[in-house]
Amino acid sequence: MGANISQLERDIGSDQFPPNEHYFGLVNFGNTCYSNSVLQALYFCKPFREKVLEYKARNKRTKETLLTCLADLFYSIATQKKKVGSIAPKKFIARLRKEKEEFDNYMQQDAHEFLNFLINHINEIILAERHQNNAKPKTGNGDPQTQQEPTWVHEIFQGILTSETRCLNCETVSSKDEDFFDLQVDVDQNTSITHCLKCFSNTETLCSDNKFKCDHCSSYQEAQKRMRVKKLPMILALHLKRFKYMEQYNRHIKVSHRVVFPLELRLFNTSDDAVNPDRLYDLVAVVIHCGSGPNRGHYISIVKSHGFWLLFDDDMVDKIDASTIEDFYGLTSDIQKSSETGYILFYQSRDCVQ
Amino acid sequence: MKMAVQDGGGKDELKTQFITREGTYRLMTLSEYSRPNRVGYTNTQGSAAVRVSFVTLPDPSGNGDRICFNFGRELYVYVYKGVKKAADLTKPVDKKMYKGTNPTCHDFNMVTMTPDSVSLVVGFSTGQIQLIDPIKKELSKLYNEERLIDKTKVTCIRWVPGSTNLFLVSHSSGQLYLYNEELPCGTAPPHYQPFKQGDGFAIHTCKTKSTRNPLYRWVIGSEGCCINEFAFSPCGVHLAIVSQDGFLRVFHYDTMELLGSARSYFGGFLCVCWSPDGRYVVVGGEDDLVTVWSFQERRVVARGQGHRSWVSVVAFDPYTTSYSEPDSTVDFSGGSDDEGQPQIQHNHSTNPLHNCANAGGDRNSVSRNSAPGTVNQASNRNSSGSEFNRMTAATCYRLGSVGQDTQLCLWDITEDVLKQPMCTKLRTSGIGGSGSFSVNGSAAGNAYHMNSTGSGCTSRCNNVPAFLQTNVPNKDKDFVADGNVTNLHGSNLHNNSSSGSITGPSLTQRLAGLGFGDRKDGSGTHKRNFSLASRGGNVPSDKNNSSAPCRSGVAARSSSDDPMRLIGTGACPRFDECPVLEPLICKKIAHERLTALVFREDCFVTACQDGYVYTWARPGKMGLASHIPSSPTTVTAAAVGSGVGPGGTVV
Repeated sequence: MGANISQLERDIGSDQFPPNEHYFGLVNFGNTCYSNSVLQALYFCKPFREKVLEYKARNKRTKETLLTCLADLFYSIATQKKKVGSIAPKKFIARLRKEKEEFDNYMQQDAHEFLNFLINHINEIILAERHQNNAKPKTGNGDPQTQQEPTWVHEIFQGILTSETRCLNCETVSSKDEDFFDLQVDVDQNTSITHCLKCFSNTETLCSDNKFKCDHCSSYQEAQKRMRVKKLPMILALHLKRFKYMEQYNRHIKVSHRVVFPLELRLFNTSDDAVNPDRLYDLVAVVIHCGSGPNRGHYISIVKSHGFWLLFDDDMVDKIDASTIEDFYGLTSDIQKSSETGYILFYQSRDCVQ
Repeated sequence: MKMAVQDGGGKDELKTQFITREGTYRLMTLSEYSRPNRVGYTNTQGSAAVRVSFVTLPDPSGNGDRICFNFGRELYVYVYKGVKKAADLTKPVDKKMYKGTNPTCHDFNMVTMTPDSVSLVVGFSTGQIQLIDPIKKELSKLYNEERLIDKTKVTCIRWVPGSTNLFLVSHSSGQLYLYNEELPCGTAPPHYQPFKQGDGFAIHTCKTKSTRNPLYRWVIGSEGCCINEFAFSPCGVHLAIVSQDGFLRVFHYDTMELLGSARSYFGGFLCVCWSPDGRYVVVGGEDDLVTVWSFQERRVVARGQGHRSWVSVVAFDPYTTSYSEPDSTVDFSGGSDDEGQPQIQHNHSTNPLHNCANAGGDRNSVSRNSAPGTVNQASNRNSSGSEFNRMTAATCYRLGSVGQDTQLCLWDITEDVLKQPMCTKLRTSGIGGSGSFSVNGSAAGNAYHMNSTGSGCTSRCNNVPAFLQTNVPNKDKDFVADGNVTNLHGSNLHNNSSSGSITGPSLTQRLAGLGFGDRKDGSGTHKRNFSLASRGGNVPSDKNNSSAPCRSGVAARSSSDDPMRLIGTGACPRFDECPVLEPLICKKIAHERLTALVFREDCFVTACQDGYVYTWARPGKMGLASHIPSSPTTVTAAAVGSGVGPGGTVV
């Protein structure tokens, strides 16, 4: 390990090594790579890291939550004396196992489920703390997320999808907005993430068992529905749905389809009233699933930091060439069982960097 | 949205034939080229793209066609028999196998070739360059052998048009070198001195007493940004370069002046080609789009949306591109005089179905051998002026593109679309785009179906005639929008009475909704919606007020390479500011990524990452009974083994 670490410093070059930056691997506590990979990706989503460290600075003595554990972990990485090395996220994992029993074991977990849990949970913690500090709750309504002022988690990850439904009987169009922290897209063989996102917003027809209750007609009617992005988030997290349930096998199998993802992205599936439809994104991190199925295999992540790419594999960190990213697009043939494929993509809006 | 009605998901059958308005194209299953020993399954992940070069040797017997392609570590040259049964694959003209490196690209010299010799330059993944004669076989020279000049992959290599000894080589390091095949490379790394510099590029010469290679070094874009491809204009005067930083840069090759540039909507530009008349540059890239850039106006004039993944090759089909010129046997670029064909042009554009079909077929003396950019020099050198002569130009361009989505797209690009000034879409509906999708769901769907049944231009262009009616009179001005255009189209497509707004339909119909100069329009709705739609609305509005060529000229030169600043300019219009084309046809023709596309007189040729080169006969060019798909020859048998990936053999 020691050799590897100094190798990293050599690869980067001591004069090139970005000041105030630390590249620390995370020790695996038995199948915790799902957490390690997501944590690394989040650490290198700069706006998120900054907010977590800010939280750490503001909240010196509070009771332990998953957020305080995360803040401690980030703080500990950010304040290391050494530039590179590894660190054991012991407290965070212990807390995680306490918080959610699904994670309280040594089984392989789904990195996206973890991300989803973590983001929502942090958001709830912030809301709860705000509620405590702030004597005047805004509403007693059971849905604080949409009704209260946005948290910094919202500011970073939250986007708005607008779902437009057009009743085929009365032609009335109704639209409904919903928040999202990430978009979950189906993957097709030999496509791009751009295409998958376009498909995400394809018009679907609601018919037979799935009819639409039209308020105007006061009955169930056939309708056309489509979801488009109305508010583009600062960090766009894209989950590639690579684990498909196969009835004939009675289990999930991995879909290793080759889905290319560019280093830069704009969305084609924005709604007509989107505020900044041509927001430009840069790829900053990718959580990668390695292996043949959801319950076995391994998670690693690649992140972009100061213009170069790093690969985090638990406690190991390597500098990689940007051209090796194509190794993680997936496979064009179904013959090989095992693959290393992009699973969660983190795109960061360029306008938030300045 | 369009995708919803496209033929199926990723699992659909491969197409072996398809119909366009000019007839049926067929895959000639006996005309496949590949390495002779095919294995069931090859891992093609990460290996270099299979590229194809052609040459037609001045062979009196008329059998001068040769094909060169690379696959893995190997390079093959065969006699090419077009739509006829392929040459015996066990008897290549030449075959090379390399150790520790892969050939990545190659180019024949069309100037020095004789019936029994030809110079072929080959670039390698490790940076070296080799010059061979695959026919005589005695020639073999290496350049950058010790990798002192550049260590990175050669991404594109071309003989300088008309030159016997100069060739240009691009690397993934972002540098482009000019070599003279007769000069040595030197035993030490070259020292450079600055020669010329401009926005986003710098050119150096070698600082030595004796002349040596490289003669020039061009550094393009920011450090280390891969040059993906370059192409000389048909006249040989201009050089278009696309790179990973998402830029197209067009230079005057001899003066090394940057004439213009364009930026991808996002991601790198991967491929580039020139229209046969040199008036347009088309690029494809990681935004899944083909982007049409006007040389004269120095701006992006249209985008094509149809691929489901990155576009790896774009190529014009000069044989299906139609010109307003009556006598197309004349070199199209020969500074000619025919001001007077507006009738045909007009006629043609109003009815795209009508005229496009059969022009251009007799232009082979010029573009027979042409991979884009390698065109007979003599007739063209002095003709750059013609690029500014509108009336001799094509009125309907046929463009082909292939991509990582394993699909082939053909596009018809009509002049009237290309001549629209830059404009802003009306974002009419403030709330949730109500009404927008009535049009989308039905009309767009229909449009696509029409396309796929081969009725050609109609659907995609169905908005074009209307445009013409409104626009033709004041071609080069900003039109005052007055909502006519929009309404017209609205009623064309769908009578959307319930909400009264017609925006946001399928991308094609956005084209219809383009509100020309709507800022001049006093209507409050438009104004309001414009400001709603664009952040920092001042900037684009300023730009729009100046005339188009001027505006983009400024964009190209003054702006830095910041895409945030370029969005909304001629170098990178917002998506709804620019006409969006839909493909004439869009067919899945392979199981693996497509890596080459070459249009020839009686066929077109595609190549695939798995090492297969396919020949597709043009309508009526099938040859004698050679299309027997089930013929159990070794060729087809082997093809089943490895050509059919998923669902085929399991190893």
